[in-house]
Amino acid sequence: MSGHVTDRLALAAAEALDPGEQRRVDAHLRECPDCAAQAEQWRRLGDGLRDLPTPVPSPGLLARTRATIERRQAEREEQTWNRAALGFLIVFGWTLTGVAWLLLELLVGELALRFERPLGPTIIWFGAYLVAGWVAAAAATVLLGRRTHEEGRLA
Amino acid sequence: MLPDTTGCVLSAPSSVPQVAEATLDLDRDDAARLRKGDLTGLDGLMGRHQDRLLRYLRRLLGDETMADDVFQQTWVRVAGRIRRYDATRPFLPWLLTVGRNLGLDHLRRYRPESLDEGPEPPAPTQGPGATEDPLARVAARERRERLVAAFDGLAPHDREVLSLRFEEGLSLKEMAALVGAPLPTVKARLYRAMARLRARLLEQGPRDEWQ
Repeated sequence: MSGHVTDRLALAAAEALDPGEQRRVDAHLRECPDCAAQAEQWRRLGDGLRDLPTPVPSPGLLARTRATIERRQAEREEQTWNRAALGFLIVFGWTLTGVAWLLLELLVGELALRFERPLGPTIIWFGAYLVAGWVAAAAATVLLGRRTHEEGRLA
Repeated sequence: MLPDTTGCVLSAPSSVPQVAEATLDLDRDDAARLRKGDLTGLDGLMGRHQDRLLRYLRRLLGDETMADDVFQQTWVRVAGRIRRYDATRPFLPWLLTVGRNLGLDHLRRYRPESLDEGPEPPAPTQGPGATEDPLARVAARERRERLVAAFDGLAPHDREVLSLRFEEGLSLKEMAALVGAPLPTVKARLYRAMARLRARLLEQGPRDEWQ
C-alpha cells in the first residue's frame, strides 16, 4: 500500500484536486480503510457546507435597494443635464466674448475715424470685462471638471 | 461544469446547480437594458442573483446588518457602473467582485482585526475511532447548528473560500480571479479553511463526530 493521503482528503472533498492527484487519492482509498473512513468524514463536512442555510433578502431590504437606485439614477440624469447645460453656457460665453471683441475692433476703428478722437479708456474697460468673463468661464470649467471627477469617484 | 474560459480542468462541486447558457444570455440582455437606463434590466439581474450575493456577503462579513448594507451598496454600484461590465463574461463573478471590494472596505473600516487569519490548523491525523460512523448518533439539526457556529467563528477569508467553493460552486480558477490571488494560494487557503473548520468542530462538539 502506498503512503497515506490524509493531507489531500480535504481538497478531495472540495473536488479541488487536479485529475492526476484525484486518481492517486482514489487508488489509495480503495486500498486503505483508514484513509477511506477519513475521506468519508471530509465528504460529510463538504456536504454540510453545501447545505448551510441560505439567507434570503427581506422585502424591506429589496425595496430600500430599489428606491436608492431609482433616486441615484434620477440624480445622475439631472447631473448629466446640468453638465450639458453648463458646458453649453461656457462655450456660448467664450464664443460671445470672442465675437464681441471682433465687433468692438471694427466699431472702435469706425468711431475713431468718424469723431477723430481716441477711445483708449473705453477699449481698456471693455478688455478688462472680456478678461473677467474668460477667467470666470475658466474657473467654471475647472469646478465642473473637479465635480465630475468627484462624482465618478463616489459612484 | 461552470464556464471557464481559461481551460481549467477543475469542476464545480457536483451538487451545485450548473450555470445555464440561458441564464448567461438573460444576464447579458438585462445588463444591456440597464446600461440604457432601463431599470427592468436591474430587476432581472437582482431576481436571479440577489440570494447568492446576500449569502456570499453574509459569509464574508459574518454580520447580518453589515451584509445588508453592503448588499444595497453593491446593487447601487452595479447600477452606476454597469458600463464597466464586460458582457462577454458571466455576470455573477463580476457582481461578487463588486460586493467583495465593498465588503472588504467595510471590514477594514469597522473591524480591521477581523481580517486576521486564525492560528494554523493542526495537521490531519488518523485518530482512534476514525472508522466509526458517529453521525448516526447525532440529530442532523444539532449537527448543522454546530457547523454553522464553527463556520461563523472562522476568519472572513476562510469563510469566503469555503462559501465560494461549496455554496457558489466557483471553480478554483474563478475563485482566484475573484479574490485576486494565484491559484495555488487559493488552493492552500481552501485547504487551511477546511482544516480550521474541522479543528473548530472538534473543539466544540463531540470529538468522534468529526474525527
